[in-house]
Amino acid sequence: MMQNKSSQISLAIVCLVLGVMLAIQFKTTESIGEEFLPPRVEDLTQKLIKITEERDALSEEVLALREKLENVRQNDQAMADLQDELQKVSMAAGTIAVEGPGIVITLNDSTRSLKAGENPNALLVHDQDLLMLVNELRASGAEAISVNDERITAMSEIRCAGTMILVNWTKIGPPFVIKAIGDPVMLESGMLIKGGYLETLKFLGIQANIQKVDKLKIPASSRPMNFEFANPVKFTEEAKQ
Amino acid sequence: MIVWLLIFFCLLLGILVGLNIPVLLPIVYAQYMSIAVLAALDSVFGGIRAYLEGSFDNTIFISGFIANTFLAAALAYMGDRLGVELYLAAVIVFGVRIFQNLGIIRRYLLKKY
Repeated sequence: MMQNKSSQISLAIVCLVLGVMLAIQFKTTESIGEEFLPPRVEDLTQKLIKITEERDALSEEVLALREKLENVRQNDQAMADLQDELQKVSMAAGTIAVEGPGIVITLNDSTRSLKAGENPNALLVHDQDLLMLVNELRASGAEAISVNDERITAMSEIRCAGTMILVNWTKIGPPFVIKAIGDPVMLESGMLIKGGYLETLKFLGIQANIQKVDKLKIPASSRPMNFEFANPVKFTEEAKQ
Repeated sequence: MIVWLLIFFCLLLGILVGLNIPVLLPIVYAQYMSIAVLAALDSVFGGIRAYLEGSFDNTIFISGFIANTFLAAALAYMGDRLGVELYLAAVIVFGVRIFQNLGIIRRYLLKKY
């Protein structure tokens, strides 16, 4: 009988625990079922907001384009618009010098001595390093970049040429001074980002120094703009495609 | 006869308590909990069967209940980590055993009454 009683008690306790578990599981399953709906609604709401914003932006663009059209009709205004456009395009192409706030990065080869068996290349600044830094500067919102006063344009190359580096067909050597015009804070934080390329360079022992500058000047590109093979496509033809 | 009332009453009490306490499992763990519940269910049916057969052992019952519950949840969790749907094994084993035990309990009751 004693055996019977204790077994009944343990059965009772276990059943109690089982009941609690069942109830919690039941509640959880039910709540999951409910929670599956709201995200979908949220998703759709997000989409709706996005599309509405897009539509608003597009309608604004329509207004701007109409205004431009109106300006083109009025000749005086068209000339001014063209001048404005030319200015912008020239800045983008690097055919005119620009000035403004930004940062200056100075890179130089490492001064540390080689460890036994180490490749001496590890201590040098390479063309890839400059390329990666220029790329990161662009990603951080730089509006104009130069390396050792060679303006980086859409046509610029940065490549190894023996012991020197070629930029715009001009040979440059260390120390490398990279100038970038843009929001100095943004540019600096973009360069100093954890795990960024500059950190890697510093880790390798390359001397790197960043300086925020209120006003710096970046010269125009020295490279002539010749288009031997590329021909512009007429606007009307392009529209047909 | 008393044992049936006891089981029923305790189960009901447990469900009521569980429904009223404000505990909600994170969705991530709900899957493991479901396997654990299945293991617990299996243990309880096994216990009832042993009780009816007169071979009930308190230690085996309690330890089996706890160990099975956690083992099943752990197995399901490990399966998720490994990318193998191990919880299916638990579902099948416990499912089969629950039905076996239920069948034995049913037969026993039919014989008795």
